[in-house]
Amino acid sequence: MLLLSAFEWLVRFQHMDRRWIFLGMAIAIAIPMLFPFTSEFSVDRSVKDAWQAVEDLPEGATVYISADFDPGSRPELEPYYRAVLHQLFTKDVKIVSATLWPAAPPLVFPIMEEIAEVYGKEYGTDYCFLGFKDGKELAIKSIGENLPKTYPVDFQGTPIGDLPVARGFKQLKDFPLIVLVSAGFPGIKEYVLQVQGQYELKMVGAATAVSGPDYIPYYKAHQLAGISSGMPGSAQYEKLVFLEHPRENLVHPERLLGIEGVNVLNLGHVFIVLLIFLGNVAFFTTRPKGVE
Amino acid sequence: MRTTIPLVITFVVGLIMLGEAFIPHWMYRIVTENILEWGVILAAAAFVLGLINLIQVNLPKVLAREPEWGYKLVMLVALVATLVVGFMGGGDRLSNGQAYKWVFDFVFVPLNATMFALLAFYIASAAFRAFRARNMEATVLLVAAVVVMIGRVPIGEQISERLPQIVNWLMEVPNTAARRAIFIGAALGAVATGLRIILGIERSHLGGD
Amino acid sequence: MTARWLTLLFLLALASPAFADSAPSDAANSDDDDSSVIGVGNDSAGDDDDSAAGLEAPPGLMEAAAVAEGSMADVVKVPAPTELTVTAPKHNSGLNLDLSWTPHPDVEAARFTVARAESPDGPWEMRVEDLTPDITTYTDKVAEDPLNKGVRDQYYYRVLALPRGLRAQADEANLTKPADRFAFLDAHANSTPAIAGEPKGVWLNTSVGFLLMALIVLTVGGLMFWFTDRARKGKEVFIRRIPGIDAIEEGIGRATEMGKPVLYVPGIDELQDIQTIASVLILGEVSKKVAEYQSDIIVTCCIPLVREVADEVVKAGYYQAGYPDAYRSTNTRFISSEQFAFCAGTNGIILREKPATNIYLGRFFAESLILAETGFVNKSIQIAGTAEATQLPFFIAACDYTLIGEELFAVSAYLSGDPRLVSSLKASDWIKVFCVASIIVGTLAGSFGMDFVVQLFTAAGH
Repeated sequence: MLLLSAFEWLVRFQHMDRRWIFLGMAIAIAIPMLFPFTSEFSVDRSVKDAWQAVEDLPEGATVYISADFDPGSRPELEPYYRAVLHQLFTKDVKIVSATLWPAAPPLVFPIMEEIAEVYGKEYGTDYCFLGFKDGKELAIKSIGENLPKTYPVDFQGTPIGDLPVARGFKQLKDFPLIVLVSAGFPGIKEYVLQVQGQYELKMVGAATAVSGPDYIPYYKAHQLAGISSGMPGSAQYEKLVFLEHPRENLVHPERLLGIEGVNVLNLGHVFIVLLIFLGNVAFFTTRPKGVE
Repeated sequence: MRTTIPLVITFVVGLIMLGEAFIPHWMYRIVTENILEWGVILAAAAFVLGLINLIQVNLPKVLAREPEWGYKLVMLVALVATLVVGFMGGGDRLSNGQAYKWVFDFVFVPLNATMFALLAFYIASAAFRAFRARNMEATVLLVAAVVVMIGRVPIGEQISERLPQIVNWLMEVPNTAARRAIFIGAALGAVATGLRIILGIERSHLGGD
Repeated sequence: MTARWLTLLFLLALASPAFADSAPSDAANSDDDDSSVIGVGNDSAGDDDDSAAGLEAPPGLMEAAAVAEGSMADVVKVPAPTELTVTAPKHNSGLNLDLSWTPHPDVEAARFTVARAESPDGPWEMRVEDLTPDITTYTDKVAEDPLNKGVRDQYYYRVLALPRGLRAQADEANLTKPADRFAFLDAHANSTPAIAGEPKGVWLNTSVGFLLMALIVLTVGGLMFWFTDRARKGKEVFIRRIPGIDAIEEGIGRATEMGKPVLYVPGIDELQDIQTIASVLILGEVSKKVAEYQSDIIVTCCIPLVREVADEVVKAGYYQAGYPDAYRSTNTRFISSEQFAFCAGTNGIILREKPATNIYLGRFFAESLILAETGFVNKSIQIAGTAEATQLPFFIAACDYTLIGEELFAVSAYLSGDPRLVSSLKASDWIKVFCVASIIVGTLAGSFGMDFVVQLFTAAGH
């Protein structure tokens, strides 16, 4: 009887209402959020390369950041974005930034402003935000060819010529490094295809976990100097900037969102693997004999 | 005539745009840039048509109180409200305290993040259904998926220090090889589709011959 | 009519004076980018004079320079770079010039500044102000509006080696206008002599890579005509069965039996994306079949222009099938151009209007799994197809059939059954054979230290 009910239970388990899975997933995500714990992890070579490319910049250089993400991909990319801003400002590297995503400006500029304030950086002199540009690949092509023509004014309407930080930068090629924080399309892939090869640009990027594998061929072909993929990549970047190689003038943030997040992922991934395992146990136990 | 004129336009414009890849001279580029600009203008104008379509589809259903008309009313009210708020505040509309910023922070951000977060739950249920070791191929897929899933998070490294290396190998070698194959195949398919349209062999979009 | 206008416009453009003469009049050039042009003498290399001699700046600028002059003592000049070369890039549009220079081996400049003029005596225009010392090349675009302002035969360039602190002095003097700044920098930094360069526009890119690319395109086109011609003569063309495409027709039949509509989503990208184009072509065949089965089709679009085209295509499909009265324009719907709002709207349609068959063909991103899982809950038959490799795993996990990569581009030919279209697929197959052979030859050659194949394809990439 007990055996029969276990069999029935396994059959039902295979076809259970998916809301039970949602509930289990919610619990798996909530537990590490409510009771945080830390676990050790190492840094991938691709992430280290991305960090090293920024480290290699001379003091006083100016980089171009294309912050192309929206609220949906914020948890994965914001930790990287914050960490790279800390790294750049502590190195006294200047920033010209813009975005190709319409939903990005209210998200990415306040973060940049907040971190700049921590290091006493001034808008216009040490960093600037040129705002959103529509046109996707065409916009990338246009930025690559002529930055001031594509962005004659910044997001507040100030002429680009009046911003000392952006003064003199005519093309993407003029920047020693391009940092791409990219949640999808348009993003890293389009930058590589449209301008990287043509102008031989040095670029590093951070992508979501879903799109990250798409960019591995570009990293292997040295079209990207480094790549951080998803929440684990962001956590590794935070580890490099804040824990392993903190600069003297680094101001530690209250929370390291990537490292916290990757611990949350731990249980989430384990939960899915457990589900798959139990699903297969149920499948093989209840499968009629002789059926593949 | 109904199909001839579009076919001629397609052929001429297609050929001009294809020529851009082989003719670098700036004079030629001006022609192609102009054609692209017409495309951008058309796309922008189509937004007005999109707005009209939204109202055409939804407003009559609200007025006729058709089933679930409430959803459509919410959509229309949200559409008008966001449009009005978007026109307010001018260049400062991204500053704190502005209505547009408020709508962005407290309506758009949570809604967008919620939709994206649904993926975590949907992935769990889809993976539970799909990953069954029914045959050899499915078993290979299952094992690779489990190894990557565990190896990508810190717990994988706790289990075995070699797990992240295996994951990197899986991602960089078999995964990249498969992606490149798909990419090359798709690129050739795209070239062939483009040429079929330019040469007028493909006429499905015109309702056939 | 539009085609005639296009041709006429093109011919007119080619015949216009600006096209006929690439060396424009001086008058046309005189107002080119005047905002940052200033009359400044040529401060040649090795000139150690710290004064602002040679400046022909406006009085206000002279005052600004004089103010900064007071604190110039701590700024020590550095030697100018040597061996400045200005060359036109190969196979170029005629609007670019490549600059290259050699920095002084012992003393490092803080920054390099590049200036351009139309004659060796100026006036000079600052092109870029602060290239870091590791950068020793620069590509200049010689004209922003060549059609109206023309392109000159020759341009002159100088590269200034800025000493440390000079730019800070310019900032202190509040020199914000490029012309003012350059006058100041030029007066206090060493410069190379003016070197001339001639932009050269090319009408046909004859580099090996581009010839290879042209050869591939011509071969695909040629093969297409050849196979199409064979099909016209009645030769059988074999095409493998693609279950996903067969399922489209089954799905339409199922929808008819159940009295429910078919949902068609042509991806979320713009119309110019080739996947969207392929999807719209497929929609033509699908809507024809839906009309023949006397069923309904709902099309949801993320881009307004895609909706307009999709609407026309569906209408044409219904006309073609002989049921124009069954076509309803309100069934082709624009939802939202925001990704997740579109996704939520389409999910709403799946849950409320309960389509029997969902067809997702085109370019998809993160919304793919959310759409497909909602369709699964609705127990719809789901057929997906995309060349977006990142989304394929989601579709494979959640849909009944998935078309992978190039299969998407074969659907319209397969569905139409038109032997000319089917035979055209053969052309891309043969090119694929060529690609596979190239990969094998390239790998073998590369393994034995011969990189000619790699070089050939690298050239094609650039």
